[in-house]
Amino acid sequence: MPTVCVTDDAEQGGVVGNDALLVVRCQLGEREAFRELVAMWHAPLCRYVRGMVGSAHLADDLAQEAWVAVVRGLPRLRQPERFAPWLFTIARRTVTDHLRQAYKAPETAIEEATTAVADDELSGVLTTMQIEAGLAALPPLEREVLILFHLEDLPLASCAEVLGVPAGTVKSRLHRARRMLRNHLAEKGYEA
Amino acid sequence: MSEQNRAAHRAVPERLERALAMEVSLRSRLRHVAVGLAGGCGAAMIAVLWATEPNALPARTQAAFAGLIAIGLAWAAFAGWVLTLRRPLFARDRVLSARIALTATVVTALSGVALAAVRGSTADLTATAAGGAVFTAAAMRALVRARHRLHELLQLRDALRQDTP
Repeated sequence: MPTVCVTDDAEQGGVVGNDALLVVRCQLGEREAFRELVAMWHAPLCRYVRGMVGSAHLADDLAQEAWVAVVRGLPRLRQPERFAPWLFTIARRTVTDHLRQAYKAPETAIEEATTAVADDELSGVLTTMQIEAGLAALPPLEREVLILFHLEDLPLASCAEVLGVPAGTVKSRLHRARRMLRNHLAEKGYEA
Repeated sequence: MSEQNRAAHRAVPERLERALAMEVSLRSRLRHVAVGLAGGCGAAMIAVLWATEPNALPARTQAAFAGLIAIGLAWAAFAGWVLTLRRPLFARDRVLSARIALTATVVTALSGVALAAVRGSTADLTATAAGGAVFTAAAMRALVRARHRLHELLQLRDALRQDTP
């Protein structure tokens, strides 16, 4: 049974308008709506988490952890139309907690980093896109702003909300991240 | 289900679907509601029994009563914690739970008042009736708030359905 995150770009655009309705149905307690909500947002969530941690299997675990937190917090979400930034805020917190623990235990971090590299070599899904290929080389702050803005298509204000910084900081981080990515891809032999 | 929806469902790992099905389970929520109510109402009944006892109870019986009350309250607190943080109630679950809670509270209050009337003094009866009234009022307030929230969400859902093509 495959339990690895897939990086499906397809459906996000056309279905975002249904988010608020789906969230309200979930808050009402319609169990089928949860499956629809997860089906709609699992791929973008996974792509973000995988972009941050590298390993597909670890991303799968963290995505599940984030979904559990989402389900537990959903009854308290007062603005259903703000679901996307709220979801990524929870995902970010989950990833941050994991990274904090990983940095506390250096041996585990090294092990996971090795796994991540091995996963990347094996799956080859993310390496099909140049931008995603370069993400792993960037520091976490620059990596996540690129994922949120360019891969998840979140507007600047939502990125700022997820990251908990002013929009101006997001802009400067984006600028720095693009420059770093361009340099990295140039070193790898890609044309910037 | 459309082809697009099928594709989306395939992208969700089965393990995640199972975990989320457990997370949103209504049965698990109602179980905790029942546990909390049984603990709280049981503790209240034992307290009434103890308070309306005509003669002073032996120390061991008093300790047993106190232990049982503490256990009941602990179960009620545990259920409250679960239903607040681990398995929060969705709007419809809240209404259902509030109805069950109101029924249990009324039954407990009436039983307590009956016990106090048969066994206790006028002061015991007054105190039990007042306590029962307070808890019943709290349960009614919870039901009103739950129904208000449900109504609000239903209106929002209908408005969003009209706006969504």
